[in-house]
Amino acid sequence: MGCGYSLPDRDSRQLGRPNSENGGGQDAKNLRVKLVLLGDSGVGKSCIVLRFVRGQFDPTSKVTVGASFLSQTIALQDSTTVKFEIWDTAGQERYAALAPLYYRGAAVAVIVYDITSPESFSKAQYWVKELQKHGSPDIVMALVGNKADLHEKREVAVQDGMDYAEKNGMFFIETSAKTADNINELFEEIAKRLPRPVIT
Amino acid sequence: MEGSTSRSTSFHGFLHRMRHPSSIDLVRAIKSFIVSFSFYQPKPENDGKRVQDFFLSMEVAIRNHPLWETATEEDIDCAMEGLEKYIMTKLFSRTFTTSLEDSKIDQEISEKISLLQTFLKPEHLDIQPVLHNEASWLLAEKELQKMNAFKAPQEKLSSIMNCCRVINNLLLNAAMSEHVPAGADDFLPVLIYVTIKANPPNLHSNLKFIKLYRRQTKLISEAEYYFTNLVSSKTFITDLNAKSLSMDETKFEECMQAAKLAKKVTNELHSTSQMKQQEKNESNFSNKMHNKLDARVFHVLQQGSNYPYMEAKSKDLAMEDVEILLHQYKDLVVKYTILCKAINCLSVSEKEPLLLQLKMQGVDTHTNDQTNSHRDISQ
Repeated sequence: MGCGYSLPDRDSRQLGRPNSENGGGQDAKNLRVKLVLLGDSGVGKSCIVLRFVRGQFDPTSKVTVGASFLSQTIALQDSTTVKFEIWDTAGQERYAALAPLYYRGAAVAVIVYDITSPESFSKAQYWVKELQKHGSPDIVMALVGNKADLHEKREVAVQDGMDYAEKNGMFFIETSAKTADNINELFEEIAKRLPRPVIT
Repeated sequence: MEGSTSRSTSFHGFLHRMRHPSSIDLVRAIKSFIVSFSFYQPKPENDGKRVQDFFLSMEVAIRNHPLWETATEEDIDCAMEGLEKYIMTKLFSRTFTTSLEDSKIDQEISEKISLLQTFLKPEHLDIQPVLHNEASWLLAEKELQKMNAFKAPQEKLSSIMNCCRVINNLLLNAAMSEHVPAGADDFLPVLIYVTIKANPPNLHSNLKFIKLYRRQTKLISEAEYYFTNLVSSKTFITDLNAKSLSMDETKFEECMQAAKLAKKVTNELHSTSQMKQQEKNESNFSNKMHNKLDARVFHVLQQGSNYPYMEAKSKDLAMEDVEILLHQYKDLVVKYTILCKAINCLSVSEKEPLLLQLKMQGVDTHTNDQTNSHRDISQ
């Protein structure tokens, strides 16, 4: 399956990027945040990220080793910036037991399912439960129904996703990595929900 | 990550500055820290903490030092990289695999991998055909195998990064030509496969060493992500069982069994031929036979056979040989039966490498017709 586009586009929108790769970069105005992506294989986890960092994804970049780890900084209205460090995980069932190695220490978990696949929705619920049990207690969780462009094949109702998210105190959104619908909104909303370090 | 050239110049730069007379206080601190290590018994977790604390205190000292007064962040970082490399090279033998437990884990992983290597195919991990690329895999394997040769944590970590970079290039090329997204769904299976093919020496100990001794401010972000992937790969291999692969469970067990047997036979041949050599030297076993057939027996031993009666004639045999012969006969039949059973469970494509391996190890394989005809086909 594809992302709806094959090549990262270098010419589009460039967002500000902090100049220093090393160092914590953790001050009140500039947050560095570990975000882990969970969800069945094939739901489009990596497509969402590629879409989000698209303007920045440069295959010749020295810094970026590959597409399973990407970072992107967004500027918020209150002139703070949030640098997301996005950790993709392998969604196949056989690697499920390895997930704790990846979500350990993550401030954000984005759990993705495919609106055309009820199995992937069940799998998403499994991840929510797992994170509630073993994730860090103040982790920000978002439930994402991807492939929203495929209306005619929809098998998971919007309401089902919404209800489940609400019951579990999560943020919910439906996205389409293919049309870029709601991709930026997803990350902006997450950034707003992050606990802010106390300014001293 | 910097390339090795800039790293080595930064290391020389570090040494150069340390030779400057005004660095004497820093040099003293470094030397006394290294010496202080010999006062205690190795204890990995404590040692890791002590080294990390020392790095932090030295960073403060360097930042406040006149020699680095006008230094940029990059200069400070170079100095710290030089310091890490210097300290960890000096303390290497004291900090790398200090416990018996760690070497046992290393050995277990390595043995398990050597069994898996005999039958595991990319399909078993559902690696997409477009990512089947022996040349890229080999390159990635070589990078991973280098990890054990380096002493500095930064260089070990760099081997991991290079291995992952090769895999990612492969993924990126596939993404460009085949429109496949190249995320972790594709990356991790290839890394696991490459790890199995590479069987990197002391895998567990190297990962532990990097975790404990790589400067903490450097094991973050991308480096931490790829490091975690190798830890993940190691964990997967350690826990790997019949349910972990896209492979029939019974078939998996049979393959593991066959691999273990092949290994056992090889080991036994090795040890018995050594034993025979020893027995021969001590002349306490079938004296007559060895004396009479010395040259020929030696020839057989050279070939790795543990059946010294192979070329004996009946008139050479004495009553006391009967017991040994009977014992060896039973042993032979048992081994032969198990081996045939195991080999017959394999498909033709799987038999070939196994038989080739046995042959190279010195086992005579022309014992049944099936093997003979098989060999003819392959020629």
